[in-house]
Amino acid sequence: MANNLPGVLIGRACQGMALSALTLLLMAGVAQAQSLEVTNARLSLLPGDTPGAGYFELQNLSDEAVALVGAESPAFENVEMHVSSEHNGMAHMHAIESIEIAPGERIEFAPKGHHLMFIRRATPLSEGDEADVVLKFSDEQRLPVTFEVVSPASM
Amino acid sequence: MYKLLLAGLVTLLLVGCSDQSWRTTDIGDIMPKLDFSLTDEEGEAVQGEDYRGKVTLVYFGYTFCPDVCPITLARLGDAIRKLDEETRDEIQVLFISVDPSRDTPEVLKRYTHAFGPEFVGLTGDKAEIDAVTNRYRVAYEYSEANENGDYLVNHSSAVFAFDREGQAQFLVRDSHPVSDVEADIKRLVAKG
Repeated sequence: MANNLPGVLIGRACQGMALSALTLLLMAGVAQAQSLEVTNARLSLLPGDTPGAGYFELQNLSDEAVALVGAESPAFENVEMHVSSEHNGMAHMHAIESIEIAPGERIEFAPKGHHLMFIRRATPLSEGDEADVVLKFSDEQRLPVTFEVVSPASM
Repeated sequence: MYKLLLAGLVTLLLVGCSDQSWRTTDIGDIMPKLDFSLTDEEGEAVQGEDYRGKVTLVYFGYTFCPDVCPITLARLGDAIRKLDEETRDEIQVLFISVDPSRDTPEVLKRYTHAFGPEFVGLTGDKAEIDAVTNRYRVAYEYSEANENGDYLVNHSSAVFAFDREGQAQFLVRDSHPVSDVEADIKRLVAKG
């Protein structure tokens, strides 16, 4: 019996891990309203109070244009939408107020392009955690999305 | 016939060894030696010559930058991680802040730690930072602060590479493919 204990523990741990993995697969980085679908939502976390970046893909499944006008998260004091660009060897970044997504269009928030900027952490976060974020749209639609917290090294 | 082949081989080798064949941009003749007076992440005053003896990659940025800076550093870290341990020990990456009012040694230490043991953060007063950025013709500018007092910094996106003696070698731009960057770093370390 005692000999079998490690095996039982490993078995349980595996079961637990498989369940967690399944939950993660179902939950993390995916959100869907009737007309909007977000996939691959990741929050690139940096140490200390250094701001993080949010990346995801967003598809407008409806037949009407919609504009993403902002985001908020209980885990951060402030969330802004930014775009990075490069001109003549200079990296620029500026805040944007909204981004329009045409019917059927799929936009990508990705490294060195559009991204969410998560400023001043309100709750402790570490890699492997999940962060709740709400994406806000021009038509008052609010889409809750779970972002997977990752290291910038995984981008 | 053999002589011809040999001549061809020698030519190939010579071309292969020439500094002109960096896949990224050659800056050997146009950029000065690695030199500066700054403060490291332990709060100690340091000079460029303190970083001789290893291949040195230099990037100018700021920690309040959530996207371009960490992605650039993470990709450099990735390239370094692909090398064998011996080669990795021959490389250091200096992250020189262009935002010294927010980037204190403590902030930099925590920040560079996230990217790997090869990364070292450097800061200084405005005059010291300007001396380095002018030396390497690196531009930066602050945006206006928003209502929260947060501001952004536009800055050079290039990575400068120096050999063990501190001589400028090549410059990596955003547009260079990662495979070229990896090949050049590897070759610079192998140059001895």
